[in-house]
Amino acid sequence: MDRKPADNPDSYPPLGRVLMWFTDPANAHKIFGALAGICLMTFLADFTYKKYGHFAVEYIPGFYAAYGFVMFTALILAAKTLRIFIKRPEDFYGEKAIDCESYPEEELEQVGHDDA
Amino acid sequence: MMMLNLMPTAFIFIAAAFLLLALPKGPLRAALLLLVPLVAGAQVWSLPEGTYGQFDLLGLTLDTMRVDKLSRIFALIFCIAAFLGNLYAWHVRDTVQQLAALLYAGAAIGAVFAGDLITLFIYWEATAITSVFLIWARRTEGAYHTGMRYLIIQITSGVILLAGTALLYRETQSIAFGAMTLGSLGTWLIFISFGMKCAFPLMHNWLQDSYPAATVTGTVILSAFTTKLAVYSLARGFAGTEILIYIGAVMTLFPIFFAEIENDLRRVLAYSLNNQLGFMVVGIGVGTEMALNGTASHAFAHILYKALLFMSVGAVLFRTGTSKASELGGLCRTMPRTAVFCLIGAAAISAFPLFSGFVTKSLILDETANEHYPIIWAVLVFASAGVLSHSGIKIPYFTFFSHDSGLRPKEAPVHMQLAMGITAFLCIFIGVYPDTLYALLPYEVEYRPYTMAHVVGQLQLLCFALLAFAVLMRSGIHPPEIRAVNLDVDWIYRRFLPRILGGASIGLSQLWAGLSRALHETLESIVAFLFRVYGPDRGVAKVLPTGSMVVWIAILLGLVLVVNYI
Repeated sequence: MDRKPADNPDSYPPLGRVLMWFTDPANAHKIFGALAGICLMTFLADFTYKKYGHFAVEYIPGFYAAYGFVMFTALILAAKTLRIFIKRPEDFYGEKAIDCESYPEEELEQVGHDDA
Repeated sequence: MMMLNLMPTAFIFIAAAFLLLALPKGPLRAALLLLVPLVAGAQVWSLPEGTYGQFDLLGLTLDTMRVDKLSRIFALIFCIAAFLGNLYAWHVRDTVQQLAALLYAGAAIGAVFAGDLITLFIYWEATAITSVFLIWARRTEGAYHTGMRYLIIQITSGVILLAGTALLYRETQSIAFGAMTLGSLGTWLIFISFGMKCAFPLMHNWLQDSYPAATVTGTVILSAFTTKLAVYSLARGFAGTEILIYIGAVMTLFPIFFAEIENDLRRVLAYSLNNQLGFMVVGIGVGTEMALNGTASHAFAHILYKALLFMSVGAVLFRTGTSKASELGGLCRTMPRTAVFCLIGAAAISAFPLFSGFVTKSLILDETANEHYPIIWAVLVFASAGVLSHSGIKIPYFTFFSHDSGLRPKEAPVHMQLAMGITAFLCIFIGVYPDTLYALLPYEVEYRPYTMAHVVGQLQLLCFALLAFAVLMRSGIHPPEIRAVNLDVDWIYRRFLPRILGGASIGLSQLWAGLSRALHETLESIVAFLFRVYGPDRGVAKVLPTGSMVVWIAILLGLVLVVNYI
C-alpha cells in the first residue's frame, strides 16, 4: 500500500477524526496533563476510605501508585538492557523465515480507505 | 435435540466437517461454520452433569463425555471462541482452513470432555494435527518450517502423555483422568506433557514461534484452544500442586520483558498470552476452590480479550500486509472502529475496572494473598503492570496512534468488525456483570470485585504505570520499535543444535576421511613392499632358464664324481 504522509481528515470517518486528536503532537502536553491529573485523583482517593489488605504495604497510601510507577520503569529499563544481548537482524534465521518473508498478498485485501 | 444429546460434542464437529465438503464453496460453508459452534454450545449448555458416551476399547472403558462444571465452562467458551473465530474468518474460502478450524475446535472440546487419559490422548494429538494446517495454510516456506517445528513439539507432548498414561495404568490399573499427585514417573510424564502444551518456561517457545506464522484468521483460532486445553488439564489433574505456583509466577514474569522489545505485534500477543497463562497456572497451584474459580474465569475472559486483540492486529495485517510495530502507526485515522475494539481488548487484558480482566484476575491475586504467598503476590502485581505495558499500551499505541506511518488502509471488513464488536461487548459485559460469569464457575462464588480498595488500588497501579510510560516516551528512554528478531529458547533448536550437529557431522566426516586415507596408505605400502620383494624383477621371483639348470646339474654331478674318486 502506498504511504501517503499528507493528512486529509475530510476523507476520514468521523470517529477517525476524533481519534486523530490524540495523535497530534500539539495535544501531547494536554493528554499528559490530564493523565497526571487522573493519577493525582487516584492517589488522593486513597485517603477517602478505610483501606484493607492482606499485607502491611497495602495500607501505605499510594502504595499501588508507587509500585506501578517504579516497576513499570524498571521493566522498561530491564527490557531495554535485555535487547542489547538478544537483538539480532531480521534475517538471522535465514531469508525464508517468517520474520523476513512478506505475507502472501492473495490472502489479504489491501485496500486504501478512499479506494473505490 | 434428544438424539443430539446422545452424541459426544466433538462428533458434531466431525460430522459437520463431512457436510462442509459436500457444500459448495461460498457463504453456505461459512454459515455452516457459524452454525456448528452454536449447536454445540446449545448442547453443552443443556447437558446435565454426568458421564455419557462410554464404550469399550481393548478391555478399557473410555468415557468420551464427562460433563461437570469444570469441563462445561471450558467447552462453552470453546464454542463461543469457535463461533467468533469463524465469524471473523467469514471471507475465507480455503477448504483447508475451514476444515482445520472446525476439527480443531471439535478436538479441543472432545479433550475437555474426556473422562479418561486415552480419550484425552486421542483428542490431544488431534488438536495438534488439525491446528498445524492453520499455519501451513499460509503456504510459504517459512510457514512450512515453523509448522513442522510446531507439529513436532505438539506431537511429542502427546507421546509423552501416552507414555505417562501407560506407566500410570501399570501402577494403578486405571486410565481415569482425575486428580493426580506428582511422584511416580507416570504422573511426572503427564505433568510435563501438559506443561509443554501450556507453554511452561523453557518449553514455551513453540507458542511465540508458531502463532505469528499462521494465517490472519488462523492465529485468532489458534489463540483460543491449545493452551487453554492445557490449563483445563492441569486444573483437572494437578490442582493444588505447589510447584505450579512457582512455575506460574515465572510464566507471568519473563514474557513481559520479551514482549516489550518484540517488533511483530502478533508475537507480542503470543508472549502476552504466555504471561496470562501464568496467572491461571498460579491459580491451579494454589488449588483452593476460589483459586480454581479464578483460573476458570480468567481462562474464559482471557480467550475473549486475547481473541479480540489478535483480531484487531489481524485486521491491520489484512489491510496493510504487515503486523510489525516499526511499520505501523497512526491507523486510527482510517481504521477507527478497529482501534476502539483494540482499546477495549487492551483495557480488558490490563484489568481496568468495568472490563473482564478486572473481575477474573483479582480472584487469583486475592487468593494468592489469602494463602500467604507475599512474593508470588508481588510478582503477580508487577506482572499486571507488565501486561499493561505490552498489551495495554504497546499494541494499540504503536498500531493506531504514535507517529503517522502514512498508511491509510480501509476499515476492517464488516464481518471482522462484527466479530470484534461482539467480542468487545462480551469483554465489557463480563466486567460490568461479573455474576453472570461467576454463576458458571466450578465452585460457589462469594466474591465482590468492586470494592473501593480494589478499584482504587487497581486504578492507581494502572494509571501510574501509564504515567511512567508517558514520562519514558517524552524523555526518549522508551525503547523504539525496530526491525529485528530477539533470541529466545527457539535459538537452541533453530540455530545452536543444528550448528552443533553440523559441526559434529563435519568433524565425523573428516575423521572418517582421515581414517580411510590412513588405511589406504598402509595397504598401499604393504602392496609396494610385497611388490618390491616378490616383484618380477626381484631375485625371489626371478625365473632361471632351463639351460642353466642343466649346467648346474652337470656341475653338481661332476663334483659328485670328483668326490667319489677322491
